[in-house]
Amino acid sequence: MAAMVNAWRWWWGILLAFFLVGLSWLFLPLPFIIEVLIFSIYTMGCSFLLGRVGFISFGQPAYLAAGAYGTAFYLFYFGSNPYVGILIGILSGLAVSGIVGPLFVRLRSDYFALVNLALAVIIYYLMQKVLAGITKGDNGLWFLTNIASTPVLDLGKPDHFFIFSILVALAIWAFYKYLDDSVFGACCLATKINEDKLKFLGYSNYGVRLLAFVIANTTTALAGAMYAVYLGFVSPEITSPARAADPVVVTILGGTGTLFGPLVGAIAYTGMKDVISKLIGNWELFIGFLLVFIMLAGEKGIWGTLQPWLERLFSRKKASPAAGEGAGARQ
Amino acid sequence: MPPLDGVAAGTGELLAVRGLNVSYGESKVLFDVNLHIGANEIVACVGRNGAGKSTLLKSIAGFLKLNSGTVTCNRVNLVGRMSYDIAKMGIKYVPQDKKVFSDLTVQENLELGSYATKDYNWDRVTDYFPKLKALMERKAGFLSGGERQMLMIARALLGHPKLLLIDEPTEGLAPSIVSHLREVFRELNKAAALVIVEQNLPLVCAIANRVYALKEGRIVAELADAASIRADVCEKYL
Amino acid sequence: MSAQLLTSGVIFGLSIGSIFFLMAIGLSLCFGLMRIISLDQLLYYSVGAYLTYSLTLVTGNVWLGVLGGVVVAGIVSFAVERLIFRRIYERELTFSMITSFGVLIGGIGVIKFFWGVVPRPVPVPLMAQIDIIGTEVPVYRLIVVAIAFLVYAGIWLFLNRTITGKAIRAGIENVEHVEGLGINVSRLFTITFIIAGALSGLAGGLHAPLIMVDPSMGLEVLAFVFMVVIIGGLGSIKGTLISAFIVGQVVSLGSLIYAPLAQMAPFAIMLLILLVKPTGLYGSPLLKR
Repeated sequence: MAAMVNAWRWWWGILLAFFLVGLSWLFLPLPFIIEVLIFSIYTMGCSFLLGRVGFISFGQPAYLAAGAYGTAFYLFYFGSNPYVGILIGILSGLAVSGIVGPLFVRLRSDYFALVNLALAVIIYYLMQKVLAGITKGDNGLWFLTNIASTPVLDLGKPDHFFIFSILVALAIWAFYKYLDDSVFGACCLATKINEDKLKFLGYSNYGVRLLAFVIANTTTALAGAMYAVYLGFVSPEITSPARAADPVVVTILGGTGTLFGPLVGAIAYTGMKDVISKLIGNWELFIGFLLVFIMLAGEKGIWGTLQPWLERLFSRKKASPAAGEGAGARQ
Repeated sequence: MPPLDGVAAGTGELLAVRGLNVSYGESKVLFDVNLHIGANEIVACVGRNGAGKSTLLKSIAGFLKLNSGTVTCNRVNLVGRMSYDIAKMGIKYVPQDKKVFSDLTVQENLELGSYATKDYNWDRVTDYFPKLKALMERKAGFLSGGERQMLMIARALLGHPKLLLIDEPTEGLAPSIVSHLREVFRELNKAAALVIVEQNLPLVCAIANRVYALKEGRIVAELADAASIRADVCEKYL
Repeated sequence: MSAQLLTSGVIFGLSIGSIFFLMAIGLSLCFGLMRIISLDQLLYYSVGAYLTYSLTLVTGNVWLGVLGGVVVAGIVSFAVERLIFRRIYERELTFSMITSFGVLIGGIGVIKFFWGVVPRPVPVPLMAQIDIIGTEVPVYRLIVVAIAFLVYAGIWLFLNRTITGKAIRAGIENVEHVEGLGINVSRLFTITFIIAGALSGLAGGLHAPLIMVDPSMGLEVLAFVFMVVIIGGLGSIKGTLISAFIVGQVVSLGSLIYAPLAQMAPFAIMLLILLVKPTGLYGSPLLKR
């Protein structure tokens, strides 16, 4: 019985969030929700890196492209099963982050950000010009018609894809919550706050960071793979450096390092994008000023500001008498 | 901000600190610290490592934000002022780290000290440390520890400061240099008040008029007369 | 490869390296003194280029345009420093990275608003060519290289012979000690930031006649400037000069050998150097304040 209660306590937040998302299907257009879901998975990696490990990456598009193009190559040239395609995309992301990870993770945070951005630019250039033979350059790869129907969930159909996305997002969220609660999660935080202490405890900062890097970027690649299957089309645009700000903005908008930040941020961002681009065509102007404003005003983001408030609201029953000022109590 | 004159009317008190509370991030370091410095005193601050001595000096000099408390110099409030404004007011902080600008020459180091104070009389300040006169063209990175300490103090002396906050000057230095510094401090005291944070108790006992003992962020004792300023008394409070 | 091809390749590499150098100095100085990553330098580059375009259109004189570009870039960077960066100096490094990236993107939006998205051409001020070892080399490119060296000399003189420059060098070592001497470091920061912005504007203005001016031009050179800064090491002017020219030559000569890989070669070099020296060739370690 206690086990069930514990399980419920662990799961209720995630289940509620995704239940609400699922419910919104009745009110909001499907493309919007699917975009929000995929985008929030994309941001999750970035948020994890920034919030838990303390590394900012301006190069998330690189790993997004790795996943997207991995899937695209498979579905364009080799097969037609979208599930396999997504798997290939994930593996591509794993491969890329596994290759560059060992080097990138050694760098200090500013070099890390720049180097990731350089990677994104390189991949952009690769896909656009160098490998144009197989990527068809700016025209992109079109493979919507290649996607075969699959049993249970036919990913070619938007409705089914939506269900698939929710399930995947749920799984991802559960996974990251598990990470958060695990020793690994604590290590990540520790590596951000106090490297030396972690070393003395016997953990390898490098190892923790590398694992976190690979996990985060493979998640990003998964998002890329999902984009590929959903749109049936991939072009170098997906890794253009202009889009490098997107996951960062969403992460901060939603609240760095919080579990639901990416979801909240993605909703806000995608919503704003639709509204704003109808009002003013100039997306960069808006996003740039928004980012600066958020940074100056307070880096907690929407969810980050709400979360402590909500926590206080829900745990009022458990409130303990305020502890006296620790050291000052000594006479 | 014009440089301050020596003595506030009547009390002879140059610096007054009341109810000082300082934190580093989440952890509190100084608790309700009160002290005062007279215009011609040498006041020593003793205490274990981590007691908060450097924090105290840094807070007075404007490098740290206070949680609460007041710091006044001749009744002029120092809290909230930029560190460089406080320096221009005649309160100079000499840090513990024995770092000088290593890429610049000794002369250029002094030049930087002269820039804000408009005091280019390098001869006067190097009179206290004649060794430096020969080293003017040397890049400061090549100086020994003792020479660097001398340069830091010389640099701080430009502009005729009224109050010197000196953080562990004799740490790691040879005894001959320590005695030299002892005499220099006595000389300096003729024109300025000194607050010296030190672990070197013999030195403290030789030159200090008063001693504050700091323990875990609080003042636990103030030794005000010559008789009680003895090494064994100080040690009790460490 | 013929000597002529090599010569023009080297000259091309020198001129593009000069552009990178002018921009990288700004990034390097801002990091060294203020411990911020100022990605918005790429915006001042674009500002310089666009002002050059507009002023050339109005006055017919490209050099006047470049001058105007430098001045306006300096003014814009001053405004950004006062309004934005001043509030974030004490924060950690990632903060400045994100904020400056926001300024960069927002600034691109502003540029789009005023000038639209269509790429604009800027005429080359001197169409003359000079004969070197049998190759026709555009004099303009040589002038660009000459200007870069003049700037290097100027920066060197500034940092080594003026008191402000010495204060900046001292501040790169230890800002707190400089403060303790009564020097207004806030003003020092502003001066450094304006110098960086003006130099980036100069880079943009000089580069404009060689390429088309378009809103995302800042993003296109972004990667290369980063690689120059990382290879040379943040905080070192000498390192920046050396790595700017290395990258310039690699891109230029590389494209003569095998075009597609030329753009990617600097990236490979950067990775190699980082493997051996994680802070770049002459980089200063991140000193905690």
